[in-house]
Amino acid sequence: MSASASAAGPGVPASGGVIHDIGYRSYAGTRLGRAAIVRALTWYSLRSAFGLGRGIKAKIVPVLAFVLMCLPAVINAAIVALSNDHTRQFSYDTYVPGLRILILLLFIAAQAPELVSRDLRSHSLPLYFARPIRRIDYPVAKLAAFFLALLIMVEVPLLLLYLGTVTQVHGGSAVWAQTRELIPGLLLGVAWAAVLAGLGLLLASFSGRRAFATGAAAVFFFLTWTLASLLIHIGQGELGGSQGHSLALARLAGLISPFTVLDGFRLWLGGTTPGQVPDPGHYGPAYGVMLAVFLVIGAGGLIARYRKMGIA
Amino acid sequence: MSAQHAAGAAAPGRPRPGPPAAGAVIEAAGLSKRYAGTINALDQLTVAVAPGVTGLVGANGAGKSTLIKILLGLLEPTSGTATVLGHDCATAGMQIRAITGYMPEHDCLPGDLSATEFVTHLGRMSGLPATAAKERAADSLRHVGLYEERYRQIGTYSTGMKQRVKLAQALAGDPRLLLLDEPTNGLDPGGRSQMLELIARIGTEFGISIVVASHLLGEIEQICDHLVAIDAGRLLRADTISSVTGVSQILLIEVDEGTEKLAVELASRGLAPARHQRGLAVQLAGEQTYDVVRDAIVDLGLPLTRMEQRRHRLEELFRDDAATAAQLTGDADVR
Repeated sequence: MSASASAAGPGVPASGGVIHDIGYRSYAGTRLGRAAIVRALTWYSLRSAFGLGRGIKAKIVPVLAFVLMCLPAVINAAIVALSNDHTRQFSYDTYVPGLRILILLLFIAAQAPELVSRDLRSHSLPLYFARPIRRIDYPVAKLAAFFLALLIMVEVPLLLLYLGTVTQVHGGSAVWAQTRELIPGLLLGVAWAAVLAGLGLLLASFSGRRAFATGAAAVFFFLTWTLASLLIHIGQGELGGSQGHSLALARLAGLISPFTVLDGFRLWLGGTTPGQVPDPGHYGPAYGVMLAVFLVIGAGGLIARYRKMGIA
Repeated sequence: MSAQHAAGAAAPGRPRPGPPAAGAVIEAAGLSKRYAGTINALDQLTVAVAPGVTGLVGANGAGKSTLIKILLGLLEPTSGTATVLGHDCATAGMQIRAITGYMPEHDCLPGDLSATEFVTHLGRMSGLPATAAKERAADSLRHVGLYEERYRQIGTYSTGMKQRVKLAQALAGDPRLLLLDEPTNGLDPGGRSQMLELIARIGTEFGISIVVASHLLGEIEQICDHLVAIDAGRLLRADTISSVTGVSQILLIEVDEGTEKLAVELASRGLAPARHQRGLAVQLAGEQTYDVVRDAIVDLGLPLTRMEQRRHRLEELFRDDAATAAQLTGDADVR
């Protein structure tokens, strides 16, 4: 009985649902613990964030977004190689601000539902909860996976920017100068990925209908960003050309949107590249606080959402 | 390698609840669950489930799904205790879930994955390493009768195939116990009997203990060794199927004509006949009852077409009239 079972490979002929007697083999191998299961779920979810292991259609948006995001770094490499003074074209701490925001917005709206609302739509959560993990492990694995996915989206272009530049500069001090500028950019990228992963998944987890989940994420990120940009312009416009200082409105408006909060946070920490928001000045700490608030709302909200979810 | 435990077949006539049975798969003591202070989903449930295939029967809303969730350690009981395979449901839910397969009642499959991908993934979620998960997914899907179809997207499957995938994912982690919630839901008669055959086979040949929650008594009778009947969260009865469906002390008599005359005659001879469908039913008080009935029929010259000892039916467990049910089943356990 068991001999025929082990001999029968995947090539068993299709036989219209007839149940054959192939014997039962029990499993005597190792069983992984909770941590390994959570790692497996994280890896599975990270792959699905880029459409890996899915059909071609699932790959179009994430791959396109990734390529577009890397495009400026590639262009930079070409310009640096061809020009005489080998000057880097984009800064490490803001990269290409408008492009980065739009691409991430697209990526979150398209892929956050892939991680959370599929399981809601197909009602497969009870199958996860009935396995040897705890309730909190599911949202934690999803958060970790989407954080890593966004980290790839933000950091890989920066690394390409760095590589494209340092291969053309000469001398250890020039390389070191590039590296010193890169590190804050990478650290800021971590903040970007952390804030956006939590908020994106939380918004997407409110509906099992993919269109609604995508809409919720897109509308939130786009509206808050548009509103913040608008208010910043109004704040700066009211002042006219009289002074170099912005109104309180312009300085505080950035608190509305996660994207502008991340930018204000950067300026508060001493970023010098002009960005989305005016220098927050003594409102700087507010950007730090708001960043923490967004982190807590995103991650905490997602965990709370899955804690109270019924299993059937 | 095959069928390690032959426990399934050899578990006859274990007496109902009483003291916890040795080697019981599931034990519950005084288990209660009250939702939001209003309804009692479970009410002082005390029961022991022996190895083998056990039917958990009750009307919809009787507390079957609540019991399953408590057993998986996913729901905290309001009071009372429960153990599964020796593990406390309140504190060792993870250990229980590592060796228990669960098949939910409702649809729970993503349409855009193939059965192989999905069952492999859930095997990993059960703690199997990557290659083992692949092998066991292929095995489990073969056991439930899915071959080439398993590479197709689940969205293209029939209801029967989807139910099989649900069963396969429960089997993937090589469980010692399977909790199946209404496994024949939505199946046509053909699919229904195939699913029941499959469950019976898993119970007897694979040596996996199974609890099948169902509101269909016929199915339970067909495949289970034991039965746990609950109603409004309370235990109605826990026993072997054979004892629940055994013969009763009621004699059924059917004559082609003259049923009324016979009733009068039997009453005059000291029996208390009652109408039962097209015939009469009398209480059996030993061999002499047969003689009395025979003599009465012969004296009246009536054509006798049927005389048999009535068998208990599972439905009797759920008679609205508890007194009748108690009388008919000879069971004082019904409250």
